[in-house]
Amino acid sequence: MEMLNGKIPAGPLKDKWTSYKAKLRLVNPANKRKYRIIVVGTGLAGASAAASLSELGYNVEVFCIQDSPRRAHSISAQGGINAAKNYPNDGDSVYRLFYDTIKGGDFRSREANVYRLAEVSNGIIDQCVAQGVPFAREYSGYLDNRSFGGAQVSRTFYARGQTGQQLLLGAYSALMKESVRGAVRIFPRTEMLDLVVADGKARGIVTRHLITGKIEAHAADAVVLATGGYSNVFYLSTNAKACNMTAIWRAHKKGAFFANPCFTQIHPTCIPVHGDYQSKLTLMSESLRNDGRVWVPKKKGDVRRPSEIPEEERDYFLERKYPSFGNLVPRDVASRNAKVQCDEGKGVGTTGQAVYLDLGESIQRLGAGEIQERYGNLFEMYERITGVDAYKEPMMIYPALHYTMGGLWVDYNLMSNLPGLFVIGEANFSDHGANRLGASALMQGLADGYFILPYTIGDYLASQPWGKTDTDAFEFKAAQDEAGGRIQQLLNLKGHKTVDEFHRELGRLLWDKCGMSRREDGLKDALKKIPAIREEFWQDVCVPGTGEDLNQSLERAGRVADFLEFAEVMVLDALHRRESCGGHFREESQTPDGEALRDDAHFSYAAAWEFQGAGKEPVLHKEEFHFEEVRPSTRSYK
Amino acid sequence: MVCPFLCAQSSIQKKQITAVTGLFLILFVLGHLAGNLFIYLGHEAFNGYAQKLAGLRPGLYLVETVLLLIFLIHLYLTALLVWENRQARPVAYRQWQMIGEHSIASRLMPWTGTVIIAFVVWHLRDFTFADGDGPRSILSDGQSYGLYGVVYNAFADPWHSALYILAMAALGFHLSHGIQSFAQTLGFYHPRYTPLIRKMSNGLGLLIALAYSSIPAAVALGCLAVR
Amino acid sequence: MSNTINLTLHIWRQKNLNDKGRFEVYKAADIDTDMSFLEMLDVVNERLTKEGKEPIAFDHDCREGICGMCAGVVNGRPHGHLPQTTLCQLHLRHFKDNETIVIEPLRSKAFPVVKDLVVDRSAFDRIIASGGFISVKTGAAPEAHTVPIRRENAELAMDAAACIGCGACVAACPNASAMLFVGAKVSHIKLLPQGQIEAQERVRKMVAQMDKEGFGNCSNAYACEAACPKGISVSTIARMNKEYFAAKLTE
Repeated sequence: MEMLNGKIPAGPLKDKWTSYKAKLRLVNPANKRKYRIIVVGTGLAGASAAASLSELGYNVEVFCIQDSPRRAHSISAQGGINAAKNYPNDGDSVYRLFYDTIKGGDFRSREANVYRLAEVSNGIIDQCVAQGVPFAREYSGYLDNRSFGGAQVSRTFYARGQTGQQLLLGAYSALMKESVRGAVRIFPRTEMLDLVVADGKARGIVTRHLITGKIEAHAADAVVLATGGYSNVFYLSTNAKACNMTAIWRAHKKGAFFANPCFTQIHPTCIPVHGDYQSKLTLMSESLRNDGRVWVPKKKGDVRRPSEIPEEERDYFLERKYPSFGNLVPRDVASRNAKVQCDEGKGVGTTGQAVYLDLGESIQRLGAGEIQERYGNLFEMYERITGVDAYKEPMMIYPALHYTMGGLWVDYNLMSNLPGLFVIGEANFSDHGANRLGASALMQGLADGYFILPYTIGDYLASQPWGKTDTDAFEFKAAQDEAGGRIQQLLNLKGHKTVDEFHRELGRLLWDKCGMSRREDGLKDALKKIPAIREEFWQDVCVPGTGEDLNQSLERAGRVADFLEFAEVMVLDALHRRESCGGHFREESQTPDGEALRDDAHFSYAAAWEFQGAGKEPVLHKEEFHFEEVRPSTRSYK
Repeated sequence: MVCPFLCAQSSIQKKQITAVTGLFLILFVLGHLAGNLFIYLGHEAFNGYAQKLAGLRPGLYLVETVLLLIFLIHLYLTALLVWENRQARPVAYRQWQMIGEHSIASRLMPWTGTVIIAFVVWHLRDFTFADGDGPRSILSDGQSYGLYGVVYNAFADPWHSALYILAMAALGFHLSHGIQSFAQTLGFYHPRYTPLIRKMSNGLGLLIALAYSSIPAAVALGCLAVR
Repeated sequence: MSNTINLTLHIWRQKNLNDKGRFEVYKAADIDTDMSFLEMLDVVNERLTKEGKEPIAFDHDCREGICGMCAGVVNGRPHGHLPQTTLCQLHLRHFKDNETIVIEPLRSKAFPVVKDLVVDRSAFDRIIASGGFISVKTGAAPEAHTVPIRRENAELAMDAAACIGCGACVAACPNASAMLFVGAKVSHIKLLPQGQIEAQERVRKMVAQMDKEGFGNCSNAYACEAACPKGISVSTIARMNKEYFAAKLTE
């Protein structure tokens, strides 16, 4: 098997990006407007890339499925954005941010990429402040920082609990500025249905306008996908309802490799599932674990109210198992342990799928006023959703799917193995390895869009003549016809089950077999069941309405059809990776006391899958990780 | 010429011109009220004030013309704004709950305004252009008491008084929204003072309505009868 | 803990932009009170789909009150009757058994109805495009600490920047005015030192665009403030009025 080449530049880690940038080819300013670039998605990565590329003078077309670019799911990020500014003077540096990130990712990411991410992080903060992002400030007028999981320094910049929103509005405003200048054309409520590849290069996309149903082709000299992750394959996740992977999955089917699909992140503090009707899960900031204690009753099936369970009959399992980190263990560890308790029958709530997060002791110690000051908005949110006053009763929490580290494989230039197809933000696999640290997703999205892609895409375009294809080409017609045919096929089925019923069934299966912990037999079982669900879907799904107007069932059907195909690759990847690392926990690979056991000798690589056709097993390509600067160590939180 | 000019202004400018003209009208209302209150000092004082004012002509014509112009601009702009507002929601809600601190007064502005216009026309005919020495000025002792007599006779009619008080209530209500609206529209906001202004606006509106209405009330109670 | 209720829904159905539209009545039986309002609509839609009818179109996305996608007028109030709550965060335990609920789209000339409860709010995007930004190019920013910003101003700017662009202010306004949306953006930027350079041009252009879109005029009813799911204050409108006044005087 041929090893994948990440095209990492030579030279010392610290100088790679700087010296590489200096040697990148450039496009003449007068020629830039002759190049057309398509950007799909307007989250942090997409909006920042589209705005920056337009500023450079390229012709940019940007697509989003929402009614406005401002509504992309980046807007929901609460906590903050990391940068190595070292304003608190607590010993932070680019190197330390790099090291924390690569260690947090359990040494399953590229050194050079992660170092570059840390390197450009400071510029992001400068850029956002200049755009008018109202970051939290101290009384002196200077920026405030707070600490976040997985780091021992305070390097997180934040705008209340709405950092994602504010950063996105910054990028969105930059995009809107460019839309007036005319360099950017925005296509809202437009969904990418396929990637068009001609002469082995990405040359455009096929879209459907969600209001008129019109299927159109768009040609370009390069295509940038910034369409986020695939958490919604699990049906229930903290992602927005419209988040989907159609764009990256279609690109995968057209030849782009999909890397590490089994690397998914589960967030420990979400509001538990209430019932079958549940449409999504809501995240509550991890900061609650600073003052909250996680527990379950010692007795199985204890149905007493929490206040009726005496102290000695409670099991503070995180404090018991991890005396030094206690309730503050990283996300994956906290999540897995909650699951273990629930699997043993000690879970609480009506479903038995929840554990208590108890701030009672802190309320007694600090007073309700102080707790309200710190977490008032979270208590409010909790009460709004559950109807329970958490000042009186402990909260119930359960882990939920939150982020996906896997994605389309890209090289150092953020270009996939398909020339001309660039993938940025959560949609690519690059920087977070097997586990992402808090406040790093925003950093990566903006780093890719503002400071990396604008350089590397120029290098690619400089080697290409502009306007090579137009939408009259055969490949466009074929892709357009195929997309239209698929829609018609879905509409013609007129089956008995709704799209959501299939989606929920798939989600439940994946959550059980390929969720917080995975086992060979479970994964194999899932591999058998997924094709069956998919087959049933293509026979019995019911999509009412027509394709000529706004049809939300049809939109969902197309996306779920893609999830049903992708799920198999994800499970296959989880099955092949017989080690535990980061968010991927294989029960066969654990230490005697139940901790994740990595296998560097066999799995220190990115697994990039190549599509071989529907129902055929994809081919695995590997990109070996070479660690020149850091030595992979074992994470321990005992 | 004036209308196209006003028409061409932006929404905020229209409102700001409305606010400024409104301020002049409020000042006029206050000045007028001060004059009215001379009535409590007896008929000599009241008539004396009226004559003094009449003596200021022809300069007064200029003031009156400006006042009329301001009034017409205020009227024209508000009518225009209201018309535009109607256009902004072509399909009405089936169910609608009024929310917001100033919703009621704000929504009634066109109506209270219309009442005020009708009142002004009636009022001009009734008092301003009334014959000060004519039969309407003669009180029960058979003597003419000038404008004082005209006012007294008018308010001796309970229907007349009731209509007048109703109009003053409309004026008070109009001003209760108008005064604080003036501050908001010209961009004054302060977390401490704005609530005060809103309260003061209500208070002043009420006070003006009460003060104006006190005269027909006093006539009804017999306080202003000539002994 | 949870129980179920039965609801009667009067929902606006409109096939497309040109359709006249009408209300239709749906029974929503056995609805769990722990559901959110949108989950209730999901359930109704699942049932409609199974009956072979076309489900009700409504905008939604994040379902945690931040994306601003969901909106609808419930019993005469945008986002329903709870203060500072988006429709997706409104739960059915706040409704009574056998209650009749009227659900309408946001109504304004500037927000044409696309289908059922879905409206076109691109007017907001055009207003932002007309000037709701600081014209800094990528890479042109100075070091973040070059200009300190008074904490109070940063906090006020954040208050205004919390706007999610849902359009509830327009829907609640008796005149369908967009002053709170525009005022919030003008205030957010004006409160920061970076926003001073283009301040006058910005407010002039944004107001001009707002007028062009066909929104009504502000009559200081403050219904927008009461309806805003993010609690944005009408002080932002006052600030914009002041900015506009100054901008026009010095034009």
